[in-house]
Amino acid sequence: MNKFNNKLASFLFLLPCLIFLSIFVFMPLFKNFYNSFFEYSVFSATKDFVGLDNFKLLLADKKIKIALLNNIRYAIISVFFQVGLGLVLAAVLEHHFLRKVAPFFRVTFFMPVMISISVIALLFGFIYNPQIGILNSFLELIGLDNLSRAWLGNSSTAIYAVIAMSQWQSIGYIMMLFIVAIQRISKELYEAAELDGAGKIKQFFYITVPQVKETLFINTLLTITGSMLVFNEPYILTNGGPGVSSMTLAVYMYQSGFFKDRMGYASTIAITIFIITAILAIIQIRISHTGKD
Amino acid sequence: MKNRLMIMGLLVLIISFTFGCSKSNDNEISSENDQNVVSETGAKDEQVVINFFHRWPNEPRKSFYQEKADEFMALNPNVKINIDAVLNDSYKEKIRVLVSNDDLPDIFTSWSDSFALNLVKSERIMPLDDILNADPDWKNSIIASQFSGFTFDDVTYGVPFTIDGKAFFYNKSVFAENNLKAPKTYSEFIEVLDALQAAGYETPIVEGLTNAWAISHYEGTILQRLLDPSVTEVDYNEATGTFTDPGYVRGLEIFKELTKYMGEVSTAIDHETARNMFAKGESPIVYMQFAEIKMVEDQTDMDFGFFNFPSIEGGKGDQNALTGAPEGWMLSKNAPQEAVEFLKFLTSKETAYAFTKADGQLNAIIGGVDAENTSPISMNAFNIVTEASATAPWFDNAVNINIADIFMRGGQSLATGELTPEEIMEEVQAEADRLRK
Repeated sequence: MNKFNNKLASFLFLLPCLIFLSIFVFMPLFKNFYNSFFEYSVFSATKDFVGLDNFKLLLADKKIKIALLNNIRYAIISVFFQVGLGLVLAAVLEHHFLRKVAPFFRVTFFMPVMISISVIALLFGFIYNPQIGILNSFLELIGLDNLSRAWLGNSSTAIYAVIAMSQWQSIGYIMMLFIVAIQRISKELYEAAELDGAGKIKQFFYITVPQVKETLFINTLLTITGSMLVFNEPYILTNGGPGVSSMTLAVYMYQSGFFKDRMGYASTIAITIFIITAILAIIQIRISHTGKD
Repeated sequence: MKNRLMIMGLLVLIISFTFGCSKSNDNEISSENDQNVVSETGAKDEQVVINFFHRWPNEPRKSFYQEKADEFMALNPNVKINIDAVLNDSYKEKIRVLVSNDDLPDIFTSWSDSFALNLVKSERIMPLDDILNADPDWKNSIIASQFSGFTFDDVTYGVPFTIDGKAFFYNKSVFAENNLKAPKTYSEFIEVLDALQAAGYETPIVEGLTNAWAISHYEGTILQRLLDPSVTEVDYNEATGTFTDPGYVRGLEIFKELTKYMGEVSTAIDHETARNMFAKGESPIVYMQFAEIKMVEDQTDMDFGFFNFPSIEGGKGDQNALTGAPEGWMLSKNAPQEAVEFLKFLTSKETAYAFTKADGQLNAIIGGVDAENTSPISMNAFNIVTEASATAPWFDNAVNINIADIFMRGGQSLATGELTPEEIMEEVQAEADRLRK
């Protein structure tokens, strides 16, 4: 009987969490999956059942391919700059050589994280402006006139201009997470390595990196799934344009639903995004064996 | 034991769901009842809240509507007006979201034609015939022809307020310096653009192509000039459209040709920037709405004029038609009586007169525009609008939004050289096939 009471108690403690999860996570997820078999307008109350038509359309949709490719670009560049460079920055700032000035740089690098993304997007809109933008003025100043262009108005540069802004904004956040992880590494490891004659670079690769493996994995996961969901930056800066050159899956989903009035198709795109991020998360969890260390 | 536990858990979940859902329904019903009670009794003491949603968070209209709301609240102490405003493209998205659930504001602005029709389809818009017929003085104070864009199946759902048309604005002194005249035909227009480019104007014509609607205005007018009206009538209806007429490809080619004169900046700037470039004298020609006359006048004392989109040789449409449509106000089906009063207040002759004086845009209220409250150039525009041989609605309101989106994004891709007119039309035809089903 006592055992049963224990079980019941633990179940009751879990209950609030379960209820909230079901209402706010699982219900919408299943509803969304259900909706993807229908075509309907936000204006109308009725839904037309279309079976797998939306999925067929999705597979044939060229814009989906462009959007997915842009998300992949986002992920690769973000992992390299945010996770890679963020780790290097954190290691440098945690070095005793920089102890005195480190707090200043920590705050400086973290500052963009605290600014609203809408504000940042507007600021970068000015930076990239073809007429008054400081990026083009700077390029002209250092004699690289031929590189200056309408960054957001050019279909080959628009998505990279958007990605660049995200790197600037998010690197400080990832760096901060790494700093916390590095601070937990015992100093003796470094001292021992130093006695053995390991240089700074060797210490970084043989002590810092293996010791922050868990954080590294979490940050990579966060960055990649975040890249698959990215919406604000392209939406505010370019709205997916010019043409569809800087479209991402989330922007395309939003526009299909609320601009083009195809809620069913938007649900299908949402399901696609969910499947992609779920698969990525499962792969990464399998590879890294989190929690077993 | 395990089973019992599971059943218990499920029961709790089910109960919490049903409880949660039914409760929210109760709330909705009771709030509707509240509104009905207020509107039926028109209680003086009770506070009535009117939600007012428009699309001008920018000056001068933001202040204008704030003042008008304050005035109305001063006249009716029991009324409180909440104002919300977002800009053009965002407004289109937000109103779609609002109309899809019962959060529709009591009174809000709407474009005419398909945009209005889409809202009406939600069945959450108040039919206005009874209200209009009950107050003939008010009804007759509005230019009757402007109602058509808000009337569907002989039921009127909106009150037109602003009227508009689109024309090429040109810098008169630049034209005079280079011995140029306002072009009458498309080939003359290209000659003018070439001459201006030769005279050192890098972008003789400019447009902010990041604004999708700006592209649709070009495309809509070009297609109106080129195509037989019987063709567009079939194609613009989503139930019958095929978009196979070769005129569409020709139309996109013309648009592409024009973007060559707009320079590389065009795809990176918005329409407002383009207007400022015109006002500063950087670009001598820009395609603008009459609503923007005052915005240019406020910035510069430059001497400017306008000409209608030139006729296109071999075009099968009315070569003198004017693109432009009224905008007006709509009411939510659940709007209280006070919102109707507010609508009458907003479309009164006094408000209309003050509106045109403050903003410069012309209005559809008889006596709302005269030589006193508007500049000679706007008066000229007013006459053009009211006397136009035919008016064509804005393209993004004339066709299904999925078709318009392909045309508008396609316009950007044409300007950057990413797609060809044929590729865009293939995409349009595929979409039209899907919509016809």
